[in-house]
Parts: sequence; C-alpha cells; structure tokens
Amino acid sequence: MATVEINGKEFEIDEDGFLLDYNNFSDEWVEYVRQQEGIDELTDEHTKVVTILQDYYEKNGIAPMVRVLSKLTKFKLKHIYELFPSGPGKGACKMAGLPKPTGCV
Amino acid sequence: MPEGTLCNKKPIDSAEALNTLLSDTSGEVYYREMKSIEVDTKLLWKTIQNTCKSRIRTWLEICAHCGMCADSCFLYLVDDHNPKQVPAYKIQSTLGEIIRKKGNVDNNFMIKTMEIAWSQCTCCNRCAMYCPHGIDVGIMMGYLRGLLYQQGFVPWELKIGAGMHRVYRAQMDVTNEDFVDTFEWIVEEYEDEYPGLKAPVDIQGADIMYTVNAREVKHYPEDLAEAAILFHIAGENWTVPSKGWEQTSLSMFAGDWAACKMQVETVYDAMERLKPKIMVGTECGHAHRATVVEGPYWVGRKDGRPPVKSIHYVEWLADALKTGKLKIDPAKRLKVPVTLQDSCNYVRNHGLKSATREIIKHIVEPGYFIEMSPNKEHNYCCGGGGGFNGVGLYRPQRNKALITKRDQILSTGAKLVLAPCHNCWDAIRDLEEEYTIGIEWSFLKPVIIKMLDIPEHLRPRE
Repeated sequence: MATVEINGKEFEIDEDGFLLDYNNFSDEWVEYVRQQEGIDELTDEHTKVVTILQDYYEKNGIAPMVRVLSKLTKFKLKHIYELFPSGPGKGACKMAGLPKPTGCV
Repeated sequence: MPEGTLCNKKPIDSAEALNTLLSDTSGEVYYREMKSIEVDTKLLWKTIQNTCKSRIRTWLEICAHCGMCADSCFLYLVDDHNPKQVPAYKIQSTLGEIIRKKGNVDNNFMIKTMEIAWSQCTCCNRCAMYCPHGIDVGIMMGYLRGLLYQQGFVPWELKIGAGMHRVYRAQMDVTNEDFVDTFEWIVEEYEDEYPGLKAPVDIQGADIMYTVNAREVKHYPEDLAEAAILFHIAGENWTVPSKGWEQTSLSMFAGDWAACKMQVETVYDAMERLKPKIMVGTECGHAHRATVVEGPYWVGRKDGRPPVKSIHYVEWLADALKTGKLKIDPAKRLKVPVTLQDSCNYVRNHGLKSATREIIKHIVEPGYFIEMSPNKEHNYCCGGGGGFNGVGLYRPQRNKALITKRDQILSTGAKLVLAPCHNCWDAIRDLEEEYTIGIEWSFLKPVIIKMLDIPEHLRPRE
C-alpha cells in the first residue's frame, strides 16, 4: 500500500487514494485531500459535509446516498458539487476518510 | 471443508452480511482467508457437466492455436506481447485445464485463475471478431467467472456487488423507496429551471419505461434529472417503475448466475406490470448487455428478447434528434475536437454503432469529430470493462490497461471524449487522473442539454 506524507504526518492510502484506516482521520488528512481535490479554501460548509458523512458512516458502515447528504446538510446538489468538484461520492467521501465506495463509482 | 468467515462459497444474502464484508476495508481479511479455502472439486465437476454445453466445449476443442486472437486483445498488446496474454492461452490454461482435470484443481490454481478471469480479460469480446472459428474467449471467461464465484474465488468488491443485487436488487444499497425519493427530489431541484418538469412514477401504459444505473441514484442524481429534462423537452409520455428500475448487473461481472436472474426479473416484472410500449435504458453499456442482450436467456425466455422492446439511450436520442423531437441550436454545437468511445457492450455486442454517429452529426460542428482508430465494432475496450475498474486488487494492471485508450485518444487530438457508458466514463476519467493528457469526458445527456433549442413554453426560467 502507498503512503503519503503531509505536514509531518504519514497516511496509508488505498489504490485510489482513499484513507486505508478510518481511525487515522485528522486535520492533516483533510488538508491533503483539499490539495488533491483542488479546493481553494476550506469552509464551514466543507466541514459540515465531512462531519455528516462521518456520522452516517459510523452508524451504517457505508457512505450515504447524495439524497441523504443533501437532506442532512440542507445543501442543494449543485452546491455540494461547488464544494467538492469531483462529486460527493468521490471527493467528499475521500476527505471524510471513508473507504472507497464499492460498485462502479 | 475449510471456509473463511468472510471468504467462502456462500453468497451474501443479508444487509448484515454485506456490512460485515464491507467493514473489511479493501478485503484484507477476505483475501487472506482466500488462500486457505478448499475447492469443492466434486461440485465443480458436477456443475461443469450440467452447465458447460456444446458451444463452449466445441470452442475449447476446435481452437487451432493459430494465434490470430493475440493481436486482437488490447491486454496482450499493452503487456508487451506477453504470450500469457494471448486469449487462447488464457482460456485454455484456466477453463480448459479445469475441464481436462475433471474439476480436480487446487486452491493455488483457482487463485491464479481468478487473476486471469478478472484482470486479464474484460469480456470485451473483440477476440471473437478475429478468430477464424469465431471462438469468443469473452463469453468463456464469463462462464469461468461463474465457476470461480461458486467456489468462493471472486474479487472482494464483486462479491459485495453481487450481494447488493441479492439484498437490494440494485448494485448499491439503494432501496425502491430511496430511488423514488431521490428521483422526485432531484426533479424538484431542477423544476425551478424547467417549468413543468415531472417525475412520473409507475404510469401504466406509458410510451417509455426508463431504467437506470443505481449509482446515478446513489452518487450522481443529476443524471436522473438530465434524463427527465430531455424526455420532458422531447414531449415524451414516459415513466419510471418504483420497483425494477435498476438495469445494471454487477452479478454478471461477478459470475453470480442466480443473482443475474433475480436482478433482471425485477425489470421484466416492471415491464409486465406497467406495460409500456418500450423500455429505454440509461447511458450504460453493461446494463444494456445484462437486461437486453443476455437477460432474456438468464430467465429462459424462448424468444431471447425482453417482454417489451428495449432500446439503449443512444437509440432513443438518435431518433429524437432525427425526428426533431429534440432540436439543437446549431450555434451551440461542439466546436472543440471531439472523439467518441464505442462501448463494447452495446456496439460490438449489439450493433449500435450508427446510433451514436447519428447523434454526433447533430451535436458536433462539422470538421470537429475525429474517430478513434480502430473504431465501431473494432474499437478497444475502455480499459476498465467487465468489472476491472471496480477491483482494487488489480488496480496496477487496470492502470496499465488504460494506456491503450489513452494512446487512441491522444492520436485523435481530441479534447473531449464522449462516453455514453458509465464504465467507459469512469475509465476515461481515471486515465486522465493517472496520465493527465488534458482531456475532458462526458456522457451525452449534459452535453445535449446545453445546446438544445427549447420551445418557448418549456424554456428555463431566468
């Protein structure tokens, strides 16, 4: 497995760049994904999406549907894409430290 | 007979079992356990005797080892002409060997066979076009996958995918309620822009019953909205079924034959229940192959056809443009170099090469479309077909496989690749991420919406 380093912290990642161990999630990981995803500036809205994804994942063991994410954040789909240009299933899940969604994503 | 707790011969049949397997991130324990599961050789041989019919037996026997299939296989070409990538060798050294040994093979053999079945063949069926006998290694690999699945030798993600179909009748954890809720929500989000946009669910006797790919519902709901917008503007009388809406089949990639049947039956039941004139499926290649081309045989339909006439999205679109149901504003046609990815599953497998080119005539400014070489039924797989994209274990092999498509695209000079297939779309996105060649990629729906000449009363509100 590959390793990435940012601000003195190392993370093991899977073949698609998702965090291998959810328990290693930290601010440094968020910063790493922010750079990877080309997000200029992190806002409270990014944090809100990340927190909601994590809450759902901890309860259900899988990422939520976009519909659920939109309902819980009260963000419209277009806004979620503005926050995470590569999409909620990819960029947002990656930043939240969730494993790569299975199926064709 | 030793079986793993996660890796075993038992199909996934409950949400709880799915969650347990999902929690084994990247299948770490699953693959470790796989190294020590036993092959049920009696069951394997019995299954072959019952299911390996004359076509496959004949193909295995008549192969003249002429080598014509070698150059037809993009995985052989991209792997420096590695003789182990010759299609005839790949199938003879796996399925051929299992049959010659009457099923008497061991764990190590099955693990190696799994690697060949899922990382050295995308079931693109190109070799069959070049074999003087018409031997189709893709079809045989699909069959081999079924034997491997039965014995528990299947990549982790595909065991999950097949399990999703068994539990949810969808390739992802999307229930019927989730589907309807998402569909209605997303249409509502776009209704501001498209007055009168509707989410027609379970309408009896509609002209069109539309079916989708579950990932559109779970991760890309804009795709559902785009389909609704185009049907709306074209003035179609259409509907979606609240049950039987999922057209894809990861179970086909996994070799889970029972789940293939279960899944496609839900779609056929919806056809019987709603009695539409036709079914239109979304921009997905394998969904079409599963539901329209192979599905009828899985459920034993004598005529080899679904209960109602079923067409691919590109066929509907080509017709809508040709007949003027959808009108393009010529000033908005694509004026960048554009190329087109032919999906193996509906172009080579179902002859739909002219539909996509009819669409191109309407949406690309003359002089800007460049064909890949080779193209149409001779086109190469995107590099990630047959489940290859979704299997993390074989990511290095998949990334190498993408080089064929990368180089085909580079030769065209195109800046935009139209990819009316989810699998191809992913592969092209991934090759751009991996090799950064400066291209964009798109389905047809979003491109066409941007260039429509919309009748006054249907125009987006300012």
